Amino acid sequence: MTVLGGIGFSAPWLLWGLIALPILWLILRAVPPAPIRRRFPGVALLLGLKDDESVSDRTPWWLLALRILAVAAVIIGLAGPILNPSSPQTEGSGPLLIVLDGSWAGATRWPQQAEALDVQLARAARSNRTVAFLTLTRPEELTFQSADVLRTRLAGLQPAPWQPSAANITRAIETMGQSGGFETLWFSDGLDYPGRSDVLAALQAQGAVEIYQTGANVMAMAAAVYEDGAINLSAKRALAGEPREVTLNAQGRDPAGNIRTLASIPAVFEQGQVDASAALALPAELRARITRFDIAGQRSAGATTLVDDALRRREVALIAAREDREGLELLSPLHYIEKALAPTADLIHGSLNDVLPANPDVIVLADVATVTETEQAALLEWIENGGMLVRFAGPRIAASNISRDAEDPLMPVRLRAGGRSVGGAMSWGEPKSLEKFKDSSPFFGLDIPDDVVVSAQIVAQPDPTLSNRVIASLNDGTPLVTRKAIGQGQVVLFHVTATAEWSTLPLSGLFVQMMERLAISSSSASNDTQSLQGTVWTPLRVMDGFGVLSDAGNLPGVDGADLANSPAGPDVRPGIYVSGDRQIARNVVTLDTQLALADWPAGVPVRGMNISPETALAGWLLSFSILLLLADVIASLALSGRLLKRGGIIAVWMIATILQPPAPATAQNADADAFALNATSELTLAYVVTGVSSIDEISQAGLRGLSDTLYFRTSVEPANPIGVDLENDELAFFPMLYWPITPDQARPSDAAYVKLNEYLRSGGMILFDTRDANIAGFGAASPNGRKLQSLAAPLDIPPLEPLPSDHVLTRTFYLLQDFPGRYTGRDIWVEASPPDAEQVEGMPFRNLNDGVTPVVIGGNDWAAAWAVSSSGAPMVPIGRGFTGERQREIAYRFGVNLVMHVLTGNYKSDQVHVPALLDRLGQ
Amino acid sequence: MTSSIALRAKAEVEAARLPALLARAEHLAGAVLLGAHGRRRAGVGDDFWQYRPAQIGDSRRRIDHRRSAMGDQEFVRESEWQIAQSVMLWVDQGASMRFTSDANLPQKVDRARLLGLAVAILLQRAGERVGLTGTALPPRSGAIQIQRLAEMFCKDDTADYSPPEHRAMIPQARAVFISDFMGDIGAVTLALTKAADRGVRGVLCHVLDPSEEAFPFSGRTIFESVGGTLSHETLKASDLKSRYLARLAERKAELQRLCALTGWHYGLHHTDASAQAALLWLYGALDTRSGVTA
Repeated sequence: MTVLGGIGFSAPWLLWGLIALPILWLILRAVPPAPIRRRFPGVALLLGLKDDESVSDRTPWWLLALRILAVAAVIIGLAGPILNPSSPQTEGSGPLLIVLDGSWAGATRWPQQAEALDVQLARAARSNRTVAFLTLTRPEELTFQSADVLRTRLAGLQPAPWQPSAANITRAIETMGQSGGFETLWFSDGLDYPGRSDVLAALQAQGAVEIYQTGANVMAMAAAVYEDGAINLSAKRALAGEPREVTLNAQGRDPAGNIRTLASIPAVFEQGQVDASAALALPAELRARITRFDIAGQRSAGATTLVDDALRRREVALIAAREDREGLELLSPLHYIEKALAPTADLIHGSLNDVLPANPDVIVLADVATVTETEQAALLEWIENGGMLVRFAGPRIAASNISRDAEDPLMPVRLRAGGRSVGGAMSWGEPKSLEKFKDSSPFFGLDIPDDVVVSAQIVAQPDPTLSNRVIASLNDGTPLVTRKAIGQGQVVLFHVTATAEWSTLPLSGLFVQMMERLAISSSSASNDTQSLQGTVWTPLRVMDGFGVLSDAGNLPGVDGADLANSPAGPDVRPGIYVSGDRQIARNVVTLDTQLALADWPAGVPVRGMNISPETALAGWLLSFSILLLLADVIASLALSGRLLKRGGIIAVWMIATILQPPAPATAQNADADAFALNATSELTLAYVVTGVSSIDEISQAGLRGLSDTLYFRTSVEPANPIGVDLENDELAFFPMLYWPITPDQARPSDAAYVKLNEYLRSGGMILFDTRDANIAGFGAASPNGRKLQSLAAPLDIPPLEPLPSDHVLTRTFYLLQDFPGRYTGRDIWVEASPPDAEQVEGMPFRNLNDGVTPVVIGGNDWAAAWAVSSSGAPMVPIGRGFTGERQREIAYRFGVNLVMHVLTGNYKSDQVHVPALLDRLGQ
Repeated sequence: MTSSIALRAKAEVEAARLPALLARAEHLAGAVLLGAHGRRRAGVGDDFWQYRPAQIGDSRRRIDHRRSAMGDQEFVRESEWQIAQSVMLWVDQGASMRFTSDANLPQKVDRARLLGLAVAILLQRAGERVGLTGTALPPRSGAIQIQRLAEMFCKDDTADYSPPEHRAMIPQARAVFISDFMGDIGAVTLALTKAADRGVRGVLCHVLDPSEEAFPFSGRTIFESVGGTLSHETLKASDLKSRYLARLAERKAELQRLCALTGWHYGLHHTDASAQAALLWLYGALDTRSGVTA
C-alpha cells in the first residue's frame, strides 16, 4: 500500500491515469456538442442566416471541468483510496493471538472493543496472518484461522459475568503452551485479577505482547442492603482519582408492568476514594417493586445489583386471642414473635377482619382456637391465594375441641385432647429436646442449640398423612412443627406456645432462623454460610456480562454455601436463585470486593482503544463521479437545447401535482383546526369519501344541490358540503353523513368504526345509499348490498323496519309518502318503532320513538337526483320530461325532510298533541 | 394478391379519413347561418317563385301536376332565378404544411383542409359553384362537389413547398388560397398578379404553427424542411430568433402588400386558434353576396 498525504492507495499505479486528463481536456474541447435535428418548415426563411462570430462551437469550460472532474474521480476511486490507513510498521507477520479478558468489566465498552478488534482483524487479513482468539473467562483450544473467518464471528463474542478464575487461567496457559510462537494482542478490561501476570509471562514466552486497554475507569456496584428504613447502595471504582458523581438507578416495574427507572440517587466518589455510597429511602410499596439497581451509563453485570427478598419486607399480621395489656409484657403471647420478626418484617396488628383486606404475606395466630365461619372462609381464600397461616398452640387450643374428631381446615393435623406436659414439676421425665431436622424439612441444616427444650405441647393424632406433614419433631418423635399446603399457600402449626411458657424455643436464635427458613422473615444479613448450609438453590434467571437477565434454562442447582462464598464463575452464575419460597440474588460484586486497576510491567506496550478505522473512499468517489456525470447530462441537454423549457415546466408541474394532495374539499387536507372551524362555523352537510372519484364528485354535487334547496326553501342555511375521511376526520361536527356504497371502497379501520359508533350514539345520522334501486332488497344479491352488509356489520345499529307510513320523516317539512332519488324504490329502512307504539283514538299518527333514527338505508341514489353543477344546473338526468322533473323535486323534498328530521328530531311528531294541549288550555 | 389487399386497406384508410374531414367541415360550416341569395325573378334555381299557366313551348316535363290537378288549366312551376358565383380553392398540400410543433395541435395542412372544405360547404349551401384552381376539379355546384373536393384534399403533395396553382383561372371568379406561404414568394406574386389580370379576387389565408411564430429553439441545431430538401445548421439557434422573426414579418408584409395591390384579402391564422373564427373571417372576407352584381 502506498500512502500519499494520509490517504493510502491499494492500486497506486492507476493514478498515472491522471496524466491523461489534460489530453482529454484538449480532445473534449475540440469536439463541439452534437447538433439536434429538427423538422421546421420555416427553414426556408433561415437560409442564408450566418451565426455570429462570437458564438463558440466549443464546449464551455465549466462543462469540460465537470467532465474532467468526473473522470478524475473515477480514476482516483479505482485506485482504491483508503482513509486512515494503518502504517506498514504495525503490520507484523506470522500467527497472531488475540487475548480477551472477556469479563463483565469490559461489557460497558464492549462495542468499542469489538470495533478495535475488527480493525485489528482487518489489518491481519490484509497481511495474510492467521489469527486465534483466546477469551480468558472461557478458554478454549487455540485454532489459528484466517482473519476474515474470525471477523464474521466477532458478533458472537460476549463478555462473561465473571472474572477469569484460577482454573480458567491454568487452562489458558496450558493451551498456549501447545501452540508455536505467535504475537499477542491483549484486549484488557482494565481490571486486575489473580494470575494475570502468569498469563502475561506465558504469552511473552511465545512472542511480543501488546496490550490494548481503555483508559476509562471500571465501576461496580455492591449488593443493596436494607437498613434503618433506607436502602444502602454502594458503588466502587477501580482507580481512585478525581471526584466523580455517578447516578444510581433503581429499576423495577411500574404499575402498568413496564420496566422503568423507579428512583435514582446520586453517589459521589470523593477525591482518592474508591467507594461511594448513597441511602435511598422509598415507600414500602415502591421498594417492593424494585428488581435491580444499576449505575447510570454503565452496562455490565458488575454495575448491576439484583434485588432479592432482602428488600422485600414481608407484611406479617399478628393476632392473639387476647391482648392482655394488663399483664406483663413478657407474658404477651406475641412478644417473642414480635421481637423475632420486627427487624426484618413489617408487622400489622388488628383483628382478623381488619388485616385480611391488607392481604398480608403471613398471618400469625397465637393460641387462637376458634374463628367464625366467615373469617374461616376468608382465611381459606387468602391461603389458597398464597397466604401463609402460622399458628401457635397454647392453653386455649389445648382446651378446645378444634381439629379433634375431623381435621380442621385451618389445622395441618388432628389433635389429641389436652396436650401433654413433660418434665414439669408434676410429671415424670425430662423436658424433651429437638431432634435433628430431616433433609426433607425446610429447617434442614440448622444447628439445634442444646438449651432448646420443650416441656409442654399439644399432640397430633397419628394419621396416615401425619409423617408427611411433620417438619420438626422432638427427640421422642412427637411432632413439634407440622405443615399442610392449601392451594398456593400453607398452614404451619407450632405445637408449642409463642411464649416461653411451654418451651425455650422462642428464646433461642433457632426460633429466628426457623422463621427465616419458613420465609416468614427475610434478611440479607442472614445469607451467610451458616444459614445457607445444606440448602440447594436453583437458578431462576441468570445475568450475562451486560447485566441482562435471561431465563436460566436447565442450569444445575448450586449449593447454598457455594452460592454465598464462591466467586462468580460458570458454576455460580450471578442471577436470581430460588429454594422453596425463598429467593436470593447472587451478584457479581459483593460488599467486600475490592476492584484494582490492571497494572502492566514497564516493558509491555499499552495502547488505547481509539483506533480510527480504515475507511475505503472508493465508493464515495465513484458515486461522486456518477453524480457529476448526471449533472453533465443535464447541462449538455440544456446547452444543446434538448432540455425544452416546456419539459422543465412539465416536470415542475408534475412534482407540484404529486406533492399537492388531490380532491376538492376533502376534509383530510385541512389542518384539524381549520377543518373544525370550516365544519362548525356554519351548518354543514357531509358525505363519506369513498375514494371513487366519480361517486365522490356526485356526492359533493348532490349535497350542494340539497344545501341550495334548503337555503332557498327553509331556514336551514348550510354551507358548502364537506367530504369526510372516516379515518382522519372528526365526525361530531356533522348532523348527518351521506354514505354512498360502492363495492370498491375500502373498509374503515377499527378506530374509524369506534368513531362511527360514537357518532351514532351521540345523535348523528348516516344515510346509507346503495345506489342500486333496491334491486337486492338489501340482501346480498347486489354487490352494493353485500358491501353495505359488510360495512355496517361492526356498526351499532338498532333494529330496523321499512319506513312506516306514519313515520315522522313523512312530514317533517313536506308531506311525503315516496322518497325517490334517481330511482323510485319505495322501501327505505329506519330504526324500528317501539313495539308498544299504538295509534291513539283520534290521533292521525302513532306516538313513535323519540330521537332521530341513527341510520336511514335506501338505494335510490339520492345524491344523483340532488346533484347540481357549480352553476346550479342539474348534473344527472332523472326520468323523462316533466315526470322526471317532478321526481327530482320529490327527491329534494325528501332531502329537506331528512335534514329537518335530523335537526328537529320528533318535533313534528309532537305537533299532533297540539290540539289536545290547546283543548286543555281552553278549560 | 398482396398488392390488391394493400390497395384495399389503403383505400379503406383513405375512405375512413374522408367522412371525418367531411363531418368536421360540415360541423364547422353548420355554425354559420346563411340564406341563399335569390334574384327576385323567375329563373334557374331551387326555390319556388310562382305558378304560371303553361304556354306553348313549355316542355311537358315542366308541368306541375299537383297544381294543375286542382283545376282544368295546366300550370308550370317556376323557380326563382339564382345565379351562382364560381369560387376556386387552393389548399397547399406541400410537405411543409404537414407540420405541427405539438401533439395537441393539428397539422397545418389539417387545419387548411378543414377551413377549405368548410368554406366550400358554406359556399355550396349558398348555391355557389366551388372547385379547385387548375384543371383537376373545375367549379361545379351541388352537394356531390363537396365529396370530390374532400377527395382532392386528401392527396398529399411530395414537394416541400408547392407553388400556388394559377392555371385555368375563370375570369371574374373568386379564389381562396390557404397556405403557410413559406415557399418562394415569386410563385405567389405570379399567381396573384395573374389572378388580378383575370379579374379574380379572393382571400389569402396564411396558416402558421405557433412555433413558427415563436421560434423557441436554442443550442446547436440542424433545421430541416419537412420533406428534407432544405437544411440549415446553426450553432446557437437562440441567436437566430430575432433575425428569423424579422424575415417572417417581412414575408407577411410582402404578402399584405401583394394583397393590397391586387385587391385580395390577407388573413393570418394560427393552428392553436379556433378554426371557427378563421372560417367566419374567411367567409366574411369572401363576401360573395356583395361581390356579385345582379
